[in-house]
Amino acid sequence: MPQMILRRIGMMVLIMLVVGLLLFMINEGDPRLIARSVLGPYAQDGQLDAWIMQHGYDRSMFIRYFEWVARVVSGDLGDSIIYKRPTSEIFWPRLANTGILAGVTFVIMVIIALTLGVLAGMKEGSPQDRIISVISIATTSIPEYASAVVLAGIFVFWLGWLPGTSSMTSGFNVVELILPVMVLTLYGFGYIARMTRASMAEVMTTPYIRTAILKGLPYRHIIMKHALRNALIAPFTVIMLQINWLLSGVVVTEFAFGYKGFGALLLEAALRRDIFVIEACGLAAVFVAVFTQTIGDIGYTYLNPRIRFK
Amino acid sequence: MSDKNILIRDARRYMLATDREYGAEIHSYLPELCNQLKAKKIERRDFLRQACLLGMTATTAYAMADVLTGDAPIKSAMAATPKSGGTLKVSMRVQEMTDPASFDWAEKSNVARFIVEHLTRTQADNVTVPYLAKSWEASDDLKSWVFHLRDDVTWSNGDKFTSADVAHTVNRWLDPANGSSNLGLFGAMVEEGADGKKRGIANAVEVVDGQTIKFNLKQAALAMPENFYNYPTAIMHKGFGKDYAADLSKTPIGTGAFKLTDFSIGERAILKKERDWWAGPFYLDEIHYYDHGEDTNAWVAALASQQVDMIYRLPNDAIETAKRLPFVNIHEATTAQTAVMRFRVTEKPFDNPKVRQAIAACMDHQEILDKAFKGLGQIGENHHVCPIHPEYAALPPLKQDIKKAKRLLAEAGYPDGITVEIANGDTEGSWMTDACAIFKSQAAAAGITININKMPSSQYWEVWDKAPWGYTAWTHRPLGTMVLGLAYRKGVPWNEVAYDNPAFDAALDDAEGTLDVNERKKKMALCEKILQDDAIIPQPFWRSVFKASNKRVKGFQTHPTLYHQFQDVWLDG
Repeated sequence: MPQMILRRIGMMVLIMLVVGLLLFMINEGDPRLIARSVLGPYAQDGQLDAWIMQHGYDRSMFIRYFEWVARVVSGDLGDSIIYKRPTSEIFWPRLANTGILAGVTFVIMVIIALTLGVLAGMKEGSPQDRIISVISIATTSIPEYASAVVLAGIFVFWLGWLPGTSSMTSGFNVVELILPVMVLTLYGFGYIARMTRASMAEVMTTPYIRTAILKGLPYRHIIMKHALRNALIAPFTVIMLQINWLLSGVVVTEFAFGYKGFGALLLEAALRRDIFVIEACGLAAVFVAVFTQTIGDIGYTYLNPRIRFK
Repeated sequence: MSDKNILIRDARRYMLATDREYGAEIHSYLPELCNQLKAKKIERRDFLRQACLLGMTATTAYAMADVLTGDAPIKSAMAATPKSGGTLKVSMRVQEMTDPASFDWAEKSNVARFIVEHLTRTQADNVTVPYLAKSWEASDDLKSWVFHLRDDVTWSNGDKFTSADVAHTVNRWLDPANGSSNLGLFGAMVEEGADGKKRGIANAVEVVDGQTIKFNLKQAALAMPENFYNYPTAIMHKGFGKDYAADLSKTPIGTGAFKLTDFSIGERAILKKERDWWAGPFYLDEIHYYDHGEDTNAWVAALASQQVDMIYRLPNDAIETAKRLPFVNIHEATTAQTAVMRFRVTEKPFDNPKVRQAIAACMDHQEILDKAFKGLGQIGENHHVCPIHPEYAALPPLKQDIKKAKRLLAEAGYPDGITVEIANGDTEGSWMTDACAIFKSQAAAAGITININKMPSSQYWEVWDKAPWGYTAWTHRPLGTMVLGLAYRKGVPWNEVAYDNPAFDAALDDAEGTLDVNERKKKMALCEKILQDDAIIPQPFWRSVFKASNKRVKGFQTHPTLYHQFQDVWLDG
């Protein structure tokens, strides 16, 4: 096991380096674009050239890449063009905000999805299964930008029950979290519920469940003790993938509700070509993707000891 | 009786005195100006601008105009009594606020405007009036301008406001090391050095005495008062960037009544009134700016759930939604904001005037305004001078003429039609693509195939002054001469058309050197005609801008450039 963990971490570092290089090439490959981003659209050619020379962007890209890696490792993410402050000062608080939104969504989404998935999968083909399946498929098919508008239309403009934005201007307010969590949960729960249902339905047809039923064990006992652990192996991977989606997929929701999170920061940076913020956000997204995958793999071997990664 | 009513009463009494020459003691030309307004030979706006220019205070000028035009009784009867106190909450981007001289977004100046102030103020009605400068005068050749400063203004640190502060601020603008866009705005005080860099001319800023400052220009400049109310032209304390760091958000010393108590980029800016305002009552106690991101739906949602009282801008597509909110007022401002389908006249095929004229002849301005912008503006006339500009001269209306377009195309050597491409980055919104698409269908009738090269807005700003044909947005400027000088004079940095017409430059120089609005109108007619005939900028329309606020916000008027002026704003309930 420790060997496997070390191998996975080695792979993580390698992937990060390669993706980091791509990110760097896209953002900092053309020094004139960087100079243009920093100096603004009205800067004259002479000013661009002077900036490039002054900041060492006339040197080879690979030298600049390794310097950049060294800086990132030491915690220096560069200065934001929009905020005119070190990127790290803005980046970490925004990541923490997204952590709160993603964390709350994750808990609610997983509870709802697993409950509905198990309920549906217990009796395949029952009216209960069909209703849950239809709801899951329908909600997963509605993209967040559409559900954000629809839910805001209902709860803000029509009923006037909820605040229209979630920027927490007067400090943390749990009421402002309701709409974004609703949008994310609505979109995300269906997929996990469908996976859980499929897995549960499969487990319910296995001989050991049939034996347990024939032995006369209470149905509740069979589900909780025997079926659930095995039924959760497949959804576990999906759930781990959802963490990754929650970090990089919250862009639309954060944008729609003015939530001061990582996703909104990334989008704003992309729109205004704030390259150092784009790079920091890109690296964070890649890190979470690779990290959750590694955790997923490790968790998978724990849940199902027959699985071994070489 | 309110301050304003007292002023109107005094103005009326003053004017009741027979055989009195109105304002003669202030300036010899003022009686003539008053007579012109009374005889309706000039517009109220022209009167206000010129009266202020000739040394009359803004309040007196407004009161006098009310009496001369007979507007006063109606207005004072309609006005409710303002209430003091309360917090105005506004949804707007909260951006960095280090050095006002390098501001590049109006939003930055909106927060700063309550801390640091300007020499002049262009009001919502597009009239520029005295502010920190109580009056000013220009030499006949418009090459030297003297500004007399108020002597009752102090900085928030207790220092007296003097001409040393103005000199320090303007000298900072003219120093290329500070990277201020004011270097371009005040071109008449700027020269190119041996190293090719622009810098201020020697002795451009001359301190006459503690409250008087003189600007010596290398060429005539008409718009000095207007230029002093641009978003990067706030007057800073003489220690800014010298005795302490050039960062307004960290050291908010200003002449305004408000103090910046909390500032977090991308989140909030909290302003609290900490002292009496030198210019009179300021009803609001606090102004809070909250940043709800880039999504305009979020701004409207914040207004709908009453998290804020006002939003910075109401996008066109949200007007219908806002109208359905019973507690919301929608404010419209007619502006000189526009976008021009400008040709680069050095590039083929647009180097041929007949091709340009043929394309321009296909334009039905009204149809584009109605379909692309829901009719919320005024039609353009292909010369970039707006009816709200004081020196606008009306030319015969333009009409779509497909026959003429076909004939011109044939004469230009394209009897079978032509295919051209327009670059568009939707820099001000998706209506720009719509405008291009409608024009494409209009031009098709004359055999002109227009391909729309749509690109991200950041990419458009890479090519805005290079693309052979492009759709470029231009912001509002209070005078028509300002934008023509910035954009169409030979060799200026923003001449995206590469226009080089000595006749136009001479006509513009002539107009810029004329103080009298009526005279200038006649000269502007020539400038407008030259631009129209050369067909360098087919210009579909001028667009209105909208703001929305809660009905409890009273006394607010939308500024054409969305600058926030809250001195008359108060909260009811």
